[in-house]
Amino acid sequence: MQTHKGKKKLILIISILFILLLSIFIISFNIGTFAIGPIDVIKTLFGQGDSKQELVLFTMRLPRIIIALLVASALAVSGTVLQGITKNDLADPGILGISSGAALAVVIYIYFMNGKAYSDVSLITIFTMPIIALLGAGFAAFLIYTLAWKKGINPTRLILMGIGINSAFSAILILFQFRFSTQDFNKIMIWTSGSIWGTNWSYVIATLPFVFIFTVLIIYKARYLDVLSLGDELSVGLGVNIEKERRTLLIYTVALAGAATAVAGTIAFLGLISPHIARKLVGPKHKLLLPTSALVSSIILLLSDTIAKNVLAPIEMPVGIVVSIIGVPYFIYLIMKE
Amino acid sequence: MNSIKTENLSISYGDSDIVKDLNLNIPKGKITTIIGSNGCGKSTILKTIARILKPKNGVIYINGNDIQSLSSKSIAKEMAVLPQSPEAPNGLTVGELVAYGRFPHQSGFGKLMAKDKEKITWALKIINMEEFKDRPIESLSGGQRQRVWIAMALAQETEILLLDEPTTYLDLAHQLEILQLLDDLNKSQRQTIVMVIHDLNNAARFADYMVGIKDGNIVCSGTPREIMTKDNLRKIFNIDAIVVDEPIDHKPVCITYNLI
Repeated sequence: MQTHKGKKKLILIISILFILLLSIFIISFNIGTFAIGPIDVIKTLFGQGDSKQELVLFTMRLPRIIIALLVASALAVSGTVLQGITKNDLADPGILGISSGAALAVVIYIYFMNGKAYSDVSLITIFTMPIIALLGAGFAAFLIYTLAWKKGINPTRLILMGIGINSAFSAILILFQFRFSTQDFNKIMIWTSGSIWGTNWSYVIATLPFVFIFTVLIIYKARYLDVLSLGDELSVGLGVNIEKERRTLLIYTVALAGAATAVAGTIAFLGLISPHIARKLVGPKHKLLLPTSALVSSIILLLSDTIAKNVLAPIEMPVGIVVSIIGVPYFIYLIMKE
Repeated sequence: MNSIKTENLSISYGDSDIVKDLNLNIPKGKITTIIGSNGCGKSTILKTIARILKPKNGVIYINGNDIQSLSSKSIAKEMAVLPQSPEAPNGLTVGELVAYGRFPHQSGFGKLMAKDKEKITWALKIINMEEFKDRPIESLSGGQRQRVWIAMALAQETEILLLDEPTTYLDLAHQLEILQLLDDLNKSQRQTIVMVIHDLNNAARFADYMVGIKDGNIVCSGTPREIMTKDNLRKIFNIDAIVVDEPIDHKPVCITYNLI
């Protein structure tokens, strides 16, 4: 079935987004303390660059970019799913407290490891942090789900409960931060504003399969998400077991949001605005909406990361702040349009 | 032969009992209309049969099977539901919305097979809107939109179709359009159609079988001629009704009424 936008227009839109992403990818190499021109980027990727270029490209820039793409996609997909399940366009993992749950878990973990876990980048740390974040995200989701449950899950209750839990966890987070030394406090501050601090291949290996598997699982459920957006009554009539499907999708969302938060801290707005933009571009059918959301989100995050790293060089801004700078005006614009 | 049968069905909202020990029989292949005043429980009963609400007690049988024993998906292949005021997300075309009706028949990633596309085209043909396939839903009128929803239910390829007040927000012409469409459907496809309907005369005009509900109980059931009597209408609606035969098809209509 073709949308009224026509298949040709859709292909055009997706192609433009891909080209945009590729451009930012290449530009990001060209800026910074060690600039690599576009042609050299391509040469180095094929093993033709000199050793310095290879070092910067392969051990520093590339893993960071891949992590950014994974984080962006994870947040976008989980935001899209949450907006679908809650039937609310303002939902994203941040608002629902899933991200702050993950952040709180990590901060508590760091606190009890006496700050060693953060500064020490051993392999154990790299692989335990995502798990801790995941546990935190899972706990937050569990709390929200059980508190919102009353003979089933009502989407509005889910959101309201999420907002409440988010406030609670954020408050506890701040309490913990005050107990840290100034140095660590600042580090945590930066982390909770969102910063892609994982910059080597171990992080990629730790995160990639996770994000990939859950994203595929969600795309498999794309048509369920489509039906759920018709509302409970029609969904039941079409044979969807709404409680089971919402629960399953919520679990997938938590997994993705948890993974993203583990690696990049809480990046606000990304999971919120990417689905919105994607919806305006390609419509509401999830098979197309989910990948487009991920694409849009990747563009925004990659752009933000490039800006964050270079605009105040040599100081590196937390990427979450740049995303917010882009996100807030758009958000206000959305509200004003209503 | 009954398409739907309830046995001692009890439904409650929280602590209050809306329906108690209801034994309802819906005949197969006929149009049944359920009538009653506001809050009598007619929508609640329909929603419970549609599995939107959970009953407190009792059994519901669809074509002889207890719905508790069947999976959601298999029930969806036998019974389609059109709720009151259905909503579609923005940006869908007519064809895409009708395609949702194929959901219970799909598996895996949900690609539309030849059979699915066939059924969608068939449904669009029945509602006489084939040329509208690629039009956005937002550009349609209320009556057209309602027809598209019915097409979605048709694409579901079920024997039973439940409709909750399908004509309440439509003007006179569109109301009749929808009801005549459903009537044609019943006559040509032998679909069992069950409607909760507010307009008494339309309910009588198109029904083979009527059920009058008051306070969650069946006060009377039977052919329109049996139901449309002064006595029965007083029991159902608490009104003093004047019932005559209309001059075109000689069906019973309530031409005026007074409060008791």
